[in-house]
Amino acid sequence: MMYDHFDNAVKGITDKLNQDPEGINARKKYVLELSKLGKKLYSKDENIAWCGVTAPFDLLGSMDVTSCFVEFVGALLSSTQTAGYFFEEAEDSGFATDSCAYHRAVMGAVLKNAMPEPDFIIGTSSPCTAGLAILENFAHQYKKDFFLLNVPQNYTQDAIKYLSSQLEEMVRFVSDHTKRPLSKQKLGIALENFNTSSTLLKEIYDLTKTKPSPVDNNILKDFGTVITLLMGSQEGIDICQAFKDELNHRIKTRRHHDSKEKIRLMWIQNRIQYPFPINEMLEDLGAVIVVDELNDVTWEPMDPDNPFESIAKRMISIPFSMNASERIKHLQDLACAYRIDGAINPCH
Amino acid sequence: MNKKIGFTCAYTPVPLIEAAGFSPFRIFPESKAPDQAGHLLHDNLCPHVKKVLDRALADDLPELEGMVFINSCDSMRRLADAWHEAKPDDPIILLDLPSGINSLSLDFLSKEYERLAKTLFKWNNEPFSTEKIKDEIAKWNLLAASVKKIEGIMSRNYFPGIASGLQEIINTAATDSTDKALVMAQNKIEPEKPAKGGQSPVFVFGNLLFDPKVYDLFEEWNMHVTASDFCTTSRFVTQVDTKADDNIFRSMAISYMEQTPCARTMDTTKPGNIAQKIVQRAKESNAKGVIVFTLKFCDPYLARIPMIRQALQKESIPFLMLEGDCTMGSMGQQQTRIEAFTEMLGV
Ligand code: SF4
Ligand code: SF4
Repeated sequence: MMYDHFDNAVKGITDKLNQDPEGINARKKYVLELSKLGKKLYSKDENIAWCGVTAPFDLLGSMDVTSCFVEFVGALLSSTQTAGYFFEEAEDSGFATDSCAYHRAVMGAVLKNAMPEPDFIIGTSSPCTAGLAILENFAHQYKKDFFLLNVPQNYTQDAIKYLSSQLEEMVRFVSDHTKRPLSKQKLGIALENFNTSSTLLKEIYDLTKTKPSPVDNNILKDFGTVITLLMGSQEGIDICQAFKDELNHRIKTRRHHDSKEKIRLMWIQNRIQYPFPINEMLEDLGAVIVVDELNDVTWEPMDPDNPFESIAKRMISIPFSMNASERIKHLQDLACAYRIDGAINPCH
Repeated sequence: MNKKIGFTCAYTPVPLIEAAGFSPFRIFPESKAPDQAGHLLHDNLCPHVKKVLDRALADDLPELEGMVFINSCDSMRRLADAWHEAKPDDPIILLDLPSGINSLSLDFLSKEYERLAKTLFKWNNEPFSTEKIKDEIAKWNLLAASVKKIEGIMSRNYFPGIASGLQEIINTAATDSTDKALVMAQNKIEPEKPAKGGQSPVFVFGNLLFDPKVYDLFEEWNMHVTASDFCTTSRFVTQVDTKADDNIFRSMAISYMEQTPCARTMDTTKPGNIAQKIVQRAKESNAKGVIVFTLKFCDPYLARIPMIRQALQKESIPFLMLEGDCTMGSMGQQQTRIEAFTEMLGV
């Protein structure tokens, strides 16, 4: 079922893009790449790792592991309105009805054999205890080896050292499973790609800060969280470049006018995934979500000569990983930089 | 009378608090304080954390010289944030507790415990002393050994009142002093009342159950608690294996992480191992059934219940899940279900 979903998406979007070869179509290209990733996850001939949200996907990619955070599938099940079916399965087996809906949906999918079986699992303690608990359930259910990355909450030397040592251990764990050692050259390329993507991301976010903003309520929805799945690859760079081009094009052609943008909003945490016309409702009110909380580059460039420490610093720098005052400060900085009029904080 | 240090999590080593010259004060989530935590934290957080915050907001606490928080789960971490907001002048230390047990995480936690020790001595203007810490650990270990003995007696026979008596000892260690708890424990090793038959042997576990009266109620409802696993019962009195490492803080890290870990701590080499541990403890304590008391919105526990249920089913051990807010007040609603369960188990 899921393989077919991704396969159809890949075919459908490719056809559409072929009909408009000159177009920028950033969002379509992005969805195409994510659908290709989905297809790989559900094909049988890849090394698959189910992961926590803050796992180092660039490092895993450089080791030829196809990896993804499980909430990605939870969101997909929600947006395709199939989550309800899986909720039932999870709840029947004892998962609490008021637990996180992403996790209940994917756990139901595991129990219904609708998730691809991983080769191993990499849990992350950030962003949430619930996510880690679900990955332990995955490992238990699939009887697969489980590696845990504990992301400390303070940006101290001890914390960075602790996480970078864990990353080195993770590399050994992955190599033991794939029977392939880490290639320093491949990791170097992945980190260079990551850096190029990060530079493009910064440019994208600078463009979105302009007033009126060239974004609509959909184009950069959950972008910061999901693009990390692609950032170590050339495809990630191409996608970021496409978004940058698209926003520049919008500014140049003045597609977005002052008159349309009456209210500038920030979206805290991630968006609503199930079909719900919030974007349209906001649009009718002249409200534009100009920034999502996680659409930001909070890290320094990766140092290919010091890869584990760089990745560790990056993982700790994500606002979810730190204490509330750091996260609030980050939100305040975004509020000023984007000159917002208000913020929406959903609970799901 | 020593000044008090507040804390909320069983991974807080009491010997460090006492070595620095303070008394421990574990803040239990029970009070008549009005429900105000929702102003600072989301309503969908566990009642443990919310009630503790209610107590802080209503000043329903003794005078505290400082607070020790442990980043044991998201809710606890947010409690530390909210406390800082509610009582900005309180000295606070928040320890980072790794989720998995391995050599790196033990190194990290040992440094965190060392940081805690140094902070506590500083808060009390006392010179840092490893000797004092070792002395307190020795006393603590005597208490842990006595608690284990009492638990052994509990699991072999039903002695009315022993479970609530044990809880009183543990609460004394959590909210007063190890010395006092130790005296109580040593007096309790011989049960006050003779063994009786006729009760159903049950192993109970979950988040926290700290009111001694709850255990008396269980007995009224035909239950013989053979052993328990809550962060307010014997798991709280963790025996520190001082031989585990030359470094005392690493010994503490090893002991606190490895002894009957709570659901939030994982043995990554055996995912889902908590289920096996529950089965094993239920069997060792000669229980015929298992009851879990969980708190609403507690992700660490609720997410493991399906695995635990599965493992118990496999062993044909009857299982009852009860959700509440871990106070005596909420227990009355459980009476019918508990009585039906014990009746089904038989004696
Ligand atoms: S919604 Fe909350 S519980 Fe669910 S994955 Fe995100 S941070 Fe974790
Ligand atoms: S472990 Fe559960 S009960 Fe304890 S503080 Fe965390 S969420 Fe609350």
